[in-house]
Amino acid sequence: MNIILLLIPISLVLLGVGIWAFFWAVNHAQFDDLDTPSLTPLSEDRPAAPDAEEP
Amino acid sequence: MNAQACFHCGEANPDSAPILARVQGRQHAVCCPGCKAAAEWIETLGLADYYRLRSGPAQRHDGVADHAAWDRPALARLHVRSTSADRAQVIVLVDGLRCSACAWLIERALRGIDGVLDVGVNALARRVSLEFDPRRIKLSSLLAALSRLGYVPHPLTAGMIDSQRQRESRAALKRLVVAGLGTMQAMMMAVALYAGVFDGIDPAVREFFRWIGFLVATPVVLYSAQPFFRGAVREWRARRLSMDTPVALAVALIYLASMINVFVGGHEIYFDSVSMFVLFLLLGRHLAMRARHRAGDVVDALARLQPVLAERREAAGYTTIAVHELEAGDIVRVGSGAAIPADGELLGPRCRIDESLLSGESTPIAREPGQALIAGSLVIDGPIEVIVRHIGADTVLAGIVRMVTRAASERPALARLADARAARFVVRVLAATLITTLAWAWFDPGRALPAALAVLVVSCPCAFALAVPSALTRAVAVLAQRGVLVVDADALEALARADRFIFDKTGTLTEPNFERARVEVIRGSLEQALGIAAALEQSNSHPLGLALRRAGASAPLKTATALRHVQGAGVEGDIEGIRYRLGRADFSLHAPGADTAGDGDALVLADPDGVIARFPPSEQLRPAAATLIRSLGDAGIKCEILSGDRAARVAHIAGLLAIDEFTAAASPVDKLARLAVLRAQGHVVAMVGDGINDAPVLAAADVAIAIGEGSAMAHAASGILLASSRLESLLEARHVAAEMLVRLKQNLNWALAYNLSAVPLAALGFVPPWLAAIGMSASSIVVILNSLRIGRHATAWPDAPRPVSEAVA
Repeated sequence: MNIILLLIPISLVLLGVGIWAFFWAVNHAQFDDLDTPSLTPLSEDRPAAPDAEEP
Repeated sequence: MNAQACFHCGEANPDSAPILARVQGRQHAVCCPGCKAAAEWIETLGLADYYRLRSGPAQRHDGVADHAAWDRPALARLHVRSTSADRAQVIVLVDGLRCSACAWLIERALRGIDGVLDVGVNALARRVSLEFDPRRIKLSSLLAALSRLGYVPHPLTAGMIDSQRQRESRAALKRLVVAGLGTMQAMMMAVALYAGVFDGIDPAVREFFRWIGFLVATPVVLYSAQPFFRGAVREWRARRLSMDTPVALAVALIYLASMINVFVGGHEIYFDSVSMFVLFLLLGRHLAMRARHRAGDVVDALARLQPVLAERREAAGYTTIAVHELEAGDIVRVGSGAAIPADGELLGPRCRIDESLLSGESTPIAREPGQALIAGSLVIDGPIEVIVRHIGADTVLAGIVRMVTRAASERPALARLADARAARFVVRVLAATLITTLAWAWFDPGRALPAALAVLVVSCPCAFALAVPSALTRAVAVLAQRGVLVVDADALEALARADRFIFDKTGTLTEPNFERARVEVIRGSLEQALGIAAALEQSNSHPLGLALRRAGASAPLKTATALRHVQGAGVEGDIEGIRYRLGRADFSLHAPGADTAGDGDALVLADPDGVIARFPPSEQLRPAAATLIRSLGDAGIKCEILSGDRAARVAHIAGLLAIDEFTAAASPVDKLARLAVLRAQGHVVAMVGDGINDAPVLAAADVAIAIGEGSAMAHAASGILLASSRLESLLEARHVAAEMLVRLKQNLNWALAYNLSAVPLAALGFVPPWLAAIGMSASSIVVILNSLRIGRHATAWPDAPRPVSEAVA
């Protein structure tokens, strides 16, 4: 049973790390727009130059 | 999307001689050369995926406007923020940014431009944030690029970059997450402790859990609950009690009592209850904040009505300067169709002004030299000269913007009422706690503290605190999803209680239409005239212009170049080398003041040789109007039409809709008088209008509902906006508002019943504090769940077809 005396503080430290990471994300505009970025991975990258010829 | 609809914008294609745009190796039919250019430019940028990703058609392409004026240093100073010599930032509000695919398109297209360092697009707020190197690219080129994509850019002032809104929402999100995580941890510890009460627990472990509970609840109280403490202190300084007062008091007392118990090893602790309380309240506030921010976008739209440039008279002639450079006493020139940049006095010559923005009267008003003019109103026949009297924040327009801002941030009357109730309630609870403590101190000092805490916890005002805001925010959120924007939460209550609906006719129940049979052709053929008119109106989004394009859809397509719009008058452009004009008679015929041929509201098409055709507008019912009136009638609500139009037309429409009561040829004064009579009779009156022609009348009704299209959305007078211009959403709004009132009353009754039964038991010492904590949490959960039921049953409307007009709204 004594193991919880160690495990609970460890979980609290992890919680603190999680909250720190979340604050970092909020401050770096990760939550400002939840709508737009979801589409970005759906499309292929554009060709290197707009007028690049197909191989 | 079918072959008849434009590949780019989704509007109907002309039947004859389709215009084709080549995108991704295939030919697609488009409706106009502008759309062809936009589609092909998107293709050459390698961004044709846009057409696959988007969820709605693009805005019709209007041609590229001139943005050179934005490079003026005075304007740039106001709108562009330089972070270093090679880095500048600007925020642009983009009209026509409709879905995530638009955002993707803008981001990709702008990133490809040399000199652009970073592009951030927010589709929800319709904002593009641009970082660029001012030495390599000018702001005007960036704006031109946006225009070429088919969007209309409006740079916002630099103050918006560090927007208070963004900081507020970030802070709220952090508080909410800390409260959520803290609550989970505190409840975990509490469950262990509750289990320990029944199954036995090692005293050392118990002590450990209590300290951990204290540790995790502390950030929730000291960080997440800060807004409540701040609010309570602010209210206290103003010698008032608000909802924040009992909340802050309860949070502080419960937290302090539990903390003392942890230190002295006494009795029960309530860290789980206090965290959960804070979490639920923050959740309600978060939803309310998001609704408020959405309303804030409306204010931005209003601020846009004021022009940014002005022509000032100087010794050497006229110079174009930024509006904020103007000073009282300056003389500015305003051309035909332009907006007046600042409040002032007409110097001359006499002219006509469209003040629909403020007075609601769309008929131009004649102004004599010396009379006052208001910023934002349009000059019909210029150019005129104006002496500037008031600028910037002192103008009437700025006053309206402030009014809307305040209305959006003010707490609604319902919430204030609940505040007052809760404040009285908390005073009584504190009295009860005091009496309990004193009584037990007399009989049995050892039980005084547990009993007092039980009273405080069990009667915790959270059920009261949550009853009204949870129902209100849920209703506002549900309506926003369905295209109904609630600007003023009081309007919801009035809408639910309204027993009279008054409709404006034109633009509300009906929309303009041109019947081919009634077109009066003076020269040439009907098809030819319609073709020319449709070509001239190709980029006009005004309802009349759209109607004319519909009427001319089957005519042979022509292309107009050098289009020039004169707001409030008409449009001119070259077709096959001939200069045509279409609009009001005096504009088309170059004869100011000459209202020819009696029928003043007909659009006249003319070339330099004279009149070609007259288009008298008629009107057709909006698709959902009949359904709406019938459903309202079924609900026992009387409908009425108040219109400034001619009696015969109003009677015809009233007959079609089976409305018995109507008033025709009513001036705004008549309309106001009619509203006053109805309200004096005790009716709660809802007024539905298009938001432009009825502003003062809308403001006088108990609840004003505006059907929004474009700039009409921005109007300050309305409490509720039907953003989708679907009339049937009014029924849904009424339904949700009524349900909100029911749930709200249930919530308040439940909170009252719970407290009345629990407090006496707790005071008598029958409720151990842990049971009190469970009871308190349960009572607030009941309130939240009850509020969440609003709008769960999607309202089904019989035979409500999706109107055709929606595509253009």
